[in-house]
Amino acid sequence: MKNICCRLVCSASLLAFPVAASAADISVDSSTIFRIENRDVTGAKKQTLLPATQFLGLDVDKLADGNLSLHFYGWGRADLGDKSYNNDKVDGSFTYGYLQYRFKEANAAIRAGRFFVREGIINEQVDGVNARTELPMGFGLSAFGGATVHTKHLYAENSDGKGDYIYGGRANYRYKGMLELGASGLYEGKAPTLANYTNGNHRLLGGDIWFSPHKTIEAMGHTSYNPETKRVAEHTYLLNIKPVQHLVLSGEFNEHRERSYFYAWTMFSGAALDPAEKSRSVGGSASYEITRNFEVVADYKHYTREIGNADRYGADARIKFLDNSVRGGLSYHYLRAGKGFAIGTNPTASYHEVRGYAMHDSKNYFAAVDALGYFFRDKIYNEKSAWEAMLSLGYHITPALALSGDISYGRNPEFIEDTKGLLRLTYNMTFDGKGGKK
Amino acid sequence: MKLLKTSLPVLALAGLFMILAACAQMKSISSLPDSHPEALTTGQQVNCSECHEDQQKGTMKAFAAFSHSATFVKNHRFYSASDDRLCSTCHKSSFCNDCHTNKVQMKPSTKYGYRPDREMPHRGNFITLHKIEGKLDPASCYRCHGRANNERCVACHN
Ligand code: HEC
Ligand code: HEC
Ligand code: HEC
Ligand code: HEC
Ligand code: HEC
Repeated sequence: MKNICCRLVCSASLLAFPVAASAADISVDSSTIFRIENRDVTGAKKQTLLPATQFLGLDVDKLADGNLSLHFYGWGRADLGDKSYNNDKVDGSFTYGYLQYRFKEANAAIRAGRFFVREGIINEQVDGVNARTELPMGFGLSAFGGATVHTKHLYAENSDGKGDYIYGGRANYRYKGMLELGASGLYEGKAPTLANYTNGNHRLLGGDIWFSPHKTIEAMGHTSYNPETKRVAEHTYLLNIKPVQHLVLSGEFNEHRERSYFYAWTMFSGAALDPAEKSRSVGGSASYEITRNFEVVADYKHYTREIGNADRYGADARIKFLDNSVRGGLSYHYLRAGKGFAIGTNPTASYHEVRGYAMHDSKNYFAAVDALGYFFRDKIYNEKSAWEAMLSLGYHITPALALSGDISYGRNPEFIEDTKGLLRLTYNMTFDGKGGKK
Repeated sequence: MKLLKTSLPVLALAGLFMILAACAQMKSISSLPDSHPEALTTGQQVNCSECHEDQQKGTMKAFAAFSHSATFVKNHRFYSASDDRLCSTCHKSSFCNDCHTNKVQMKPSTKYGYRPDREMPHRGNFITLHKIEGKLDPASCYRCHGRANNERCVACHN
């Protein structure tokens, strides 16, 4: 017992004194973005939006004994013109900030602060502690606990509908890189009662699998169960088959029981949905790398919901030249969807989507053009299409520092015209570092 | 207090790890490197097999499974669910957070306007289209806009 306490205290004090840095590696990422947008909305006065945003990331590696590191990321924005959002003229977010201690063995690590957890069915932003490790014989464990991160207030409420604390974890088993089984769960504190929304507690249990009996076949997915509604919330599975090199055939299956899956989606009062409603989507795609520089993908998906069913199919082509410095792509998709999915009283929601882009980057400058159009079977608010075209030009002042500008123009049913400009200054110390642009 | 209560099991587990870490069996389980030893180009489609022979070690999955084909990128959520450790050898958390799970300031396609080759969610003006897409597959929206990143939506959906 004494031993355990001693170890705990030692590790705790380690976390508390990161300043005992030896040869720390510091890297900074910063993007400063000025946007200008002129909006002309039917029936509203013309608006000019001028938001200025600063993104900042800081990573300090090799602290203390070399295994401790510090990671931070956040942004702040000030509106210099009309409000760009529905609330304040200034806003910001502390995305994450945590200390991490990595052990030399078994991929064990402890994190403390604000961080993201992605394990099995869990995908959360938490203020707390997370620890994980692999164990002998292919087992592994991960656990987290702490306070939930509240990011906004709902309209006319003083809460975002989330409980105050959350904890959870995942246990897994791996067999020789051919099978992995996982069980995960999360439990959030009681969701507050709201005046205008019906929300439920965020609590889920799930199991996940990854199975690859041969290198040409790979199956994976997960199922989650909502103990609050006592029903399965989600099934989502993917099968990849690689019969020959460069060809990937893939099939997916998704099924959601709406009330159980959206139970904690406060904004849409998920807990008030009909427990019998189920939606399903089944799809397939084939991607083929004809040469190292030319890839084509064809895809199809069928959607089934209470309000009807729909199909989407299409294809993409991507091309690269000159050692990857010139890249381009073309794509076409068609959505066939009936009245149930349409806007207002339109008889169909079907539309064609067409996109093309090209870009070039070199040591000194980079440039890109991108055009995207949607062509509706039935006019939406009296418009036949929505489209946007964009041009971007940039210059590398130093390998780490770049200045770029984008300009775009579009017309669509919502904004008669929408003109946007953007100026961007990025400083990225890790651009050329280990592991590429991390 | 609640924070402490929920953190306790984690701390206890952390303590357990450290005891385990001390035992010899744990020492034989090797760790992934802190960051990928080789710098990779930013252009699309990292093909792991270009540099890695596919001999699979211990409980590690074959490298080729993680090659960033169009299919991988579209379905990366399945891979991240069990191999987040591997992802983080190449990706900082912010790389992922530019697209999801928090309060995102602008559409990723705006922040990275100079990267039309990347697989960004809903490019262009999406206000009109979302009224169709939102009815078609709300579960896909929930993944990003469900419990975070919905400040903008509240203006119309209340
Ligand atoms: C440009 C060549 C290149 C590409 C592409 C590449 N790697 Fe690597 N990788 C290396 C080199 C070099 C090393 C260090 C030597 C080694 O351990 O093989 C390495 C090491 C690693 C290691 C550590 C291995 C160990 O046992 O310590 C992992 C894990 C890894 N790579 C994963 C990947 C994955 C996953 C991909 C694809 C998404 C990938 N790599 C793509 C060159 C590359
Ligand atoms: C060996 C390094 C390496 C590993 C390991 C790796 N990636 Fe990547 N990933 C890259 C590089 C390089 C890019 C291209 C970045 C760019 O173009 O700016 C990329 C791009 C991506 C993209 C964006 C693609 C797009 O079109 O926008 C996603 C999503 C992604 N990775 C997810 C993952 C996930 C999930 C994992 C873990 C299962 C993972 N990656 C593991 C190197 C890696
Ligand atoms: C270019 C934008 C982009 C980037 C970068 C990106 N993702 Fe995603 N991510 C998506 C999209 C789009 C979806 C939804 C896909 C769907 O509905 O199938 C998604 C879904 C997910 C989900 C599922 C969430 C849920 O609640 O079911 C996880 C987990 C995830 N991504 C992890 C990652 C990780 C880890 C990284 C960084 C290595 C990353 N993503 C980077 C676009 C991105
Ligand atoms: C990969 C995560 C991701 C997925 C999946 C996703 N979104 Fe988004 N969406 C974002 C981000 C990030 C923004 C930018 C944040 C903002 O502007 O507040 C955004 C912005 C929007 C906007 C504002 C668009 C504009 O042009 O200003 C709408 C509307 C929207 N999303 C609806 C949806 C709907 C409906 C779905 C499902 C069909 C969906 N989103 C799926 C991440 C996602
Ligand atoms: C400018 C106002 C506006 C904004 C902002 C907006 N929406 Fe919508 N949204 C609408 C309208 C109007 C409809 C319904 C259209 C109809 O039913 O004909 C809709 C429909 C939807 C639907 C389909 C709901 C159904 O009927 O089943 C979803 C899902 C959705 N929105 C999600 C979002 C998300 C997520 C965001 C924020 C990222 C968002 N919306 C932002 C106006 C908006």
